[in-house]
Amino acid sequence: MTRWYEDIDVGSEFPLGEHTFTTGEIKRFAKSYDPQYFHLDGALAAQSQFGGLVASGWHTASMGHRKMVDTIMAEADQIRATGGVPGEAGPSPGIDKMDFLAPVRPDDTISYRLLVRAKRPSKSLPGWGVMTYFMDGTNQDGVTVYTQEFVAFNRIRRPNLTLGQRVGMFIAALPIVGPMIRTRRLR
Amino acid sequence: MSEPAPSYEILQDRRHFEDLSEGEAVVLATAKISKEMIFEFARQFDPLPFHLDEAAAKKSLLGGLAASGWQTAAISLRLFVDGFLGELASLGGLGFSNLKWLRPVMAGDTIGGRVTISNLKPSRTRRGWGIVTFDFDIRNQNNQPVMTMCLTNLVARRPAPALQDPTPQDPT
Repeated sequence: MTRWYEDIDVGSEFPLGEHTFTTGEIKRFAKSYDPQYFHLDGALAAQSQFGGLVASGWHTASMGHRKMVDTIMAEADQIRATGGVPGEAGPSPGIDKMDFLAPVRPDDTISYRLLVRAKRPSKSLPGWGVMTYFMDGTNQDGVTVYTQEFVAFNRIRRPNLTLGQRVGMFIAALPIVGPMIRTRRLR
Repeated sequence: MSEPAPSYEILQDRRHFEDLSEGEAVVLATAKISKEMIFEFARQFDPLPFHLDEAAAKKSLLGGLAASGWQTAAISLRLFVDGFLGELASLGGLGFSNLKWLRPVMAGDTIGGRVTISNLKPSRTRRGWGIVTFDFDIRNQNNQPVMTMCLTNLVARRPAPALQDPTPQDPT
């Protein structure tokens, strides 16, 4: 998200656009990251429980991430173009849950969206908010192909910080020392 | 989805659900993550400036060029398919939970690790299916944890007669 913590409302929904998966890119992803026969070989896949070639769930999900990044960058550009200062998104500590619900087949078009489920100021990273997001992808027939729950950080525009937290943020911004303490587990 | 009709010709020589046991672990091969690999993945799936440009990466929160977390996961999956899953009668992945990116994977790092079967559960809805949970513990060259996750995958059960006799049959 390129919005500030204060500007992200719980319950809001962001369309992230769509992507059509071609046979070529399904096989290319599988060759690099998930070389199982039902992702790689149409003839063998026809004999599998899928009845034909299907994309790796990781491909569908990685593309969802790509659509989110594209949306965020486009929004940041728009904010800058109108003289504003975009907010800042921090690293994600992980994905709580990912469910692959239905296969994605060649020429399927998946529409992605992002929902804001919850937010709170971070305890471990002063000045940042912890956001709980939900994402899903739906194919051209309205079937949800995957869902995902994850947590990410967004910077707070006007954080109420104690002196100790301000000192901590200063140290975290220093070279060498900063990265050492910043790579701790966050949440 | 319609009723599955998996070909046992493809799966028959592979390890089935019954051949697995909780606690079984596999040590994965390792993969060195080059700058070029990071750029290539980022161009396709995570085109943020700090994954695509070294100068921008130096100024970022991580202080250098780091792989997308999704790339760390995808490469871990590849190591797992090559080292274990590819030998199973896999019927596809169901998803995963508790994926944690514990440490960034920087350009030049080598990742590997261990995957342990933490749970085996026959499917309640499909007689021929078993649900297997794999716990990933992915580490860098300094043995520091970089990623953990619990992956769930469907693995075929042996056709009914074989269920009576757990001893592997010699095909010859």
